Amino acid sequence: MSSILCAVNTCKLFYVLYDRSVSFINNLRGGEKDNCIHTSKYNILTFLPINLFEQFQRVANAYFLFLLILQLIPEISSLTWFTTMVPLVLVITMTAVKDATDDYFRHKSDNQVNNRLSEVLIDSKLQNEKWMNVKVGDIVKLENNQFVAADLLLLSSSEPHGLCYIETAELDGETNLKVRHALSVTSELGADISRLAKFDGTVVCEAPNNKLDKFTGVLSWKDSKHSLNNEKIILRGCILRNTSWCFGMVIFAGPDTKLMQNSGKTKFKRTSIDRLMNTLVLWIFGFLVCMGIILAIGNSIWENQVGDQFRTFLFWNEGEKNSVFSGFLTFWSYIIILNTVVPISLYVSMEVIRLGHSYFINWDRKMYYPEKATPAEARTTTLNEELGQIEYIFSDKTGTLTENIMTFKKCSINGKIYGEADDDMGQKTDMTKKNKPVDFAVNPQADRTCEFSDHRLMESIKLGDSKVYEFLRVLALCHTVMSEENSAGQLIYQVQSPDEGALVTAARNLGFIFKSRTSETITIEELGTLVTYQLLAFLDFNNIRKRMSVIVRNPEGQIKLYSKGADTILFEKLHPSNEDLLTLTTDHLSEFAGEGLRTLAIAYRDLDDKYFKEWHKMLEDANALIDERDERVAGLYEEIERDLMLLGATAVEDKLQEGVIETVTNLSLANIKIWVLTGDKQETAINIGYACNMLTDDMNDVFIISGNTAVEVREELRKAKENLFEQNRSFSNGHVVFEKQQLELDSVVEETITGDYALIINGHSLTVYDQWFITLFNIVYTSLPVLAMGIFDQDVDDQNSMDYPQLYEPGQLNLLFNKRKFFICMAHGIYTSLALFFIPYGAFYNVAGDDGQHVADYQSFAVTMATSLVIVVSVQIALDTSYWTVINHVFIWGSVATYFSILFTMHSNGIFGIFPNQFPFVGNARHSLAQKCIWLVILLTTVASVMPVVAFRFLKVDLCPALSDQIRRRQKAQKKAKPSRSRRPQTRRSSSRRSGYAFAHQEGYGELITSGKNMRAKNPPPTPGLEKTLYNSTSWIENLCKKTTDTVSSFSLDKTVKL
Amino acid sequence: MTKMKKTSQICQSKLPDNTALKQQQLPAYRLQLSATGVLSGFFATGAFCLGVGIILILSAKSIKEIEIKYTKICANCAELREDAINFDKECTCSIPFYLSETMQGNVYLYYKLYGFYQNLYRYILSRSNSQLVGTDLKDVGNCAPFSKSHNGTPIAPCGAIANSIFNDTIILSYNLNSSIHMEVPMLRSGITWWTDKYVKFRNPSAINLSSAFTGTAKPPYWSKPVYELDLEDTENNGFLNDDFIVWMRTAAFPTFKKLYRRLNRVQYFIEGLPAGNYSFNITYNFPVTRFKGEKSVVLSTLTWSGGSSLFLGLAYTVTGAVTWLAAFSMMAIHLMLKEKRTLFIER
Repeated sequence: MSSILCAVNTCKLFYVLYDRSVSFINNLRGGEKDNCIHTSKYNILTFLPINLFEQFQRVANAYFLFLLILQLIPEISSLTWFTTMVPLVLVITMTAVKDATDDYFRHKSDNQVNNRLSEVLIDSKLQNEKWMNVKVGDIVKLENNQFVAADLLLLSSSEPHGLCYIETAELDGETNLKVRHALSVTSELGADISRLAKFDGTVVCEAPNNKLDKFTGVLSWKDSKHSLNNEKIILRGCILRNTSWCFGMVIFAGPDTKLMQNSGKTKFKRTSIDRLMNTLVLWIFGFLVCMGIILAIGNSIWENQVGDQFRTFLFWNEGEKNSVFSGFLTFWSYIIILNTVVPISLYVSMEVIRLGHSYFINWDRKMYYPEKATPAEARTTTLNEELGQIEYIFSDKTGTLTENIMTFKKCSINGKIYGEADDDMGQKTDMTKKNKPVDFAVNPQADRTCEFSDHRLMESIKLGDSKVYEFLRVLALCHTVMSEENSAGQLIYQVQSPDEGALVTAARNLGFIFKSRTSETITIEELGTLVTYQLLAFLDFNNIRKRMSVIVRNPEGQIKLYSKGADTILFEKLHPSNEDLLTLTTDHLSEFAGEGLRTLAIAYRDLDDKYFKEWHKMLEDANALIDERDERVAGLYEEIERDLMLLGATAVEDKLQEGVIETVTNLSLANIKIWVLTGDKQETAINIGYACNMLTDDMNDVFIISGNTAVEVREELRKAKENLFEQNRSFSNGHVVFEKQQLELDSVVEETITGDYALIINGHSLTVYDQWFITLFNIVYTSLPVLAMGIFDQDVDDQNSMDYPQLYEPGQLNLLFNKRKFFICMAHGIYTSLALFFIPYGAFYNVAGDDGQHVADYQSFAVTMATSLVIVVSVQIALDTSYWTVINHVFIWGSVATYFSILFTMHSNGIFGIFPNQFPFVGNARHSLAQKCIWLVILLTTVASVMPVVAFRFLKVDLCPALSDQIRRRQKAQKKAKPSRSRRPQTRRSSSRRSGYAFAHQEGYGELITSGKNMRAKNPPPTPGLEKTLYNSTSWIENLCKKTTDTVSSFSLDKTVKL
Repeated sequence: MTKMKKTSQICQSKLPDNTALKQQQLPAYRLQLSATGVLSGFFATGAFCLGVGIILILSAKSIKEIEIKYTKICANCAELREDAINFDKECTCSIPFYLSETMQGNVYLYYKLYGFYQNLYRYILSRSNSQLVGTDLKDVGNCAPFSKSHNGTPIAPCGAIANSIFNDTIILSYNLNSSIHMEVPMLRSGITWWTDKYVKFRNPSAINLSSAFTGTAKPPYWSKPVYELDLEDTENNGFLNDDFIVWMRTAAFPTFKKLYRRLNRVQYFIEGLPAGNYSFNITYNFPVTRFKGEKSVVLSTLTWSGGSSLFLGLAYTVTGAVTWLAAFSMMAIHLMLKEKRTLFIER
């Protein structure tokens, strides 16, 4: 068991003890445990060795290095070293520059973070100190909206009872606020600097670890021990919110903080294409070795049979006097020559293409969310094409789909529906425009934002319908809402769940205004008269009860239980006399549910004074118990919440976010399965599922799964959630772009492989090509057009890809790039290379140029083949490019032009004059390309290699056209006949599903209310210099809710639809 | 109000630029393989290939070519050369032949080797370009196994290619009648690439050539040093010797022919080679039986595309025919399918 002992006393000494065996003492100021962090990997001196070491750990680079070493052995070096060196140096330099820039920014941000200022208590004074100089044991003062510098033990805060609120978004991604709670002994210290400076508690706690939600430790102070848990700790990376100040003692600093402990190496994610490619590369490598062996054996045989007779002209080199050894050397030579068969450069190309795609994602205006001013952001560049293969989407909560703004729409009171539009049910959204809203002018405290309107209800209130009154009283009394008056004297509600807010606001608008509450009373204004109810008991909400009740005594002395909750639960608790009303209300509830509204049933019970007293006594006894307390309390709640009298039901609308229905419909047409992970009640989730077309009436088995095997489902969901947490972000980027990319990337893979194969097979028995050609082939001549195609190609335009979500399916099924495709590519490559070799071979055999000179020298042959290859590959790419932009033109024509200019440069007199041994091809381009027969050969080669491809493609499109082909064809037809883009009409959802109730509640607030902890203290303790901020501080509930509401719409799922 | 303004400015700055590039809206042409386009392309290509093929075949047929393999004819010389000991014994061989038709126009004389692997990887590399360009005679680094002589002096020209130079001399004589035998005038010039003769091959600069090559040894198989290749013409001596340059341009295949001389069209030969009796007088030096090879002399005329063989013409014709065949079958399939095709979209 390892532990750290932090002892803090007035002379600022602390002890650290690991494993109880090693111990050392530091003086705190100037000690070792400072708060300095280093996320950077290198400094100027270590950059080169470390970076190179890291880079050569990559398979591709290691492979290149291996080749380079092979080439340095003169006996087997079949290509000069620069053929490998040039690309290797290029790749390594590029990566190094990228790493260096990244690290520079890391240094910069480290510096910035380390130099942030924080108020630290030094020598009994608050002084500004840089973060990096903060030490374990220091007492730090934090102010509102400040980042926390280190892991702190909360000592005291501006809020009552030592509460403080933090946002932990940086740590766990949750944006809602969390409460931290200082020990009562330390919270008394308040902001008293002198007392804080004398704080000399000793903390014994766990060793630094990465568990964000756990902390165990003990504070020994003033001869007593206090246990510490996570509730007392504020972690580095949090932001203090809605708390004007707080003091904390540093427990872990710098690299020991939980934040830093968590920032380990990020796991590198691979896409399925990556995995497939790795397999294929292994196969190719095997193929290469096989080829090497076959050719080496061939070489041995040749040396034995033919080469032996040729010995007079070319005898053995020293040390290789037999054909077997020659074969062995030949094997390695071929490994070098044929190295281009292993498409290592493909990895680089893929990286570049992915980078390009992620920029397109970032740049896309159609994925810009104006309300939050956020463009789409691709946080990782390695997973782009996976977006074209998504099969499942996990939505993290219901709030992702809905706006989470509740509006009170309808209610059923005593068998009558209110809030209905008179004429047309279906057009409820237009209701407010058609009908004049209820005139709340009589009620000066009405909230104008409420849309509810029904004159009949106003009539009933005026007539004094007692059931209606009781109904509204429940809404006004039974909740956890807090009220406040703002500076203008207006009543402001701080709501913890928006549903409740909607209900209380509705009651307020209808004349039952919740005014204020204490831990023992609730004051409401009933149609102008202030009435104070005594709060006798608060039967809190929890997930099992699915209801909430209050027991109040009204001024007349009657004790009443007011309850609201899920209809299914509440209906079981009703008094038998309610039967008629029950059937009526059930009908109404079904009606509400059919419209996708969230419903709650409302009921009350008159309680006998004596009965209540007995019950209350039992409740108090139960609360005093230590064992089985919860069970007993729950039993008592059950007991009193029976024989209820039904009042009616409420219907609250939680609007879906804009475009959710269309998105979900499209996604499901694209055969993407959507899973919603939700903490909501099952009923709510199902209801929303129906509302957004995620569930349809013929999908009954959904429920069976979620109902019966909940444990299993939860287990699976947990796994899925872990895997997908980070990817969620990119999902919402919309799927249209990715289809394009998917196709492109695949064709890139194809292209490069084809090119490589053509090159390799041509490697033949000697290095036919100019060495420079081999060096440059992949990098210069053919990479740019491939990249351009990969980045800019669009097989179908964006409008059509939206209109035909089915286009998405081939990606999911991996139809676009798989092993079969790969072998087709390989066959194509082999065919091309055969054509590229044998046509010039046949044509050059026994031929002379038009000046009578022989043209069949190997240099001319090499130039002819290289030129043919570049042209064939360019034509191939041109054929595969279905979307010709300027850039494609520039790159394709440009690379052909570059080829020729480089060819002529390298074959020029000047460069030969300088390096005669390196550039022996002098004059070759000039002579060869002046020959008519060479051009005829090039032309024939191109025709012979391209025609079959065109024919196959044509037949494929003709015989079994893919959807994308058909759409392209139509697209073209549309363009001719002036497109009239008619969106498919959206089918209106007509579901008969029974709605669940909705109640986005958390347990435990009832207790807070009755304990009175969250009530603002009448007389805040005098804290010098802090009064002002204290008065401005907001209430606890606002603190918690402020954040929660604006996170809801942060997922811009709806953006997909607008694409 | 100011706050609102501020936020809208922030929005503006975060909104991606509306450029065609960034929004993937670059004006573009969509390549579409339409049936008519593809089919007409196929037919046109087929027609073109057939046309070119027929022209090539016809012009290849018009070429007059005579090839005489002389390894067997000069069997005694071949046998003599089997053994390297006899290197200084001269052996000549006369090959009479009858030219039945006049060879019109320019006539070229080639020597042709069978089974000589000038394309061997080690062979090709066994040369020193910096030596051949005259800058560094001592640079023999790549010339193994013929870089230095036994006593360690660098060989010039070094390397296996230079060492194995084709050293037969071929003289063509025209027998006008039984008494008059005349040597057919031949030109040595113009048989090399201009860049080879004037850029790639240079003699080391010195007052005379033999002093320039002091400190170097002749290649072991050579009978005379490089500076004595042509004592009459300094422009043909040393590294600049045309036959040497031609040999140094290594062939791509084991069977190859190299240009030896071209007809000087004067006197009787102004129209070309007239029909009649000729004979080749060959000084047989180059051993081919050692590697089971053969050698021959070739006389040939040219056409517009050079001395093309039938292959290219045939290949074009075949490609054209196949393309047409493919085009017809594709058209048939397309027309057949056109009627029954029901598009997924239209459903």
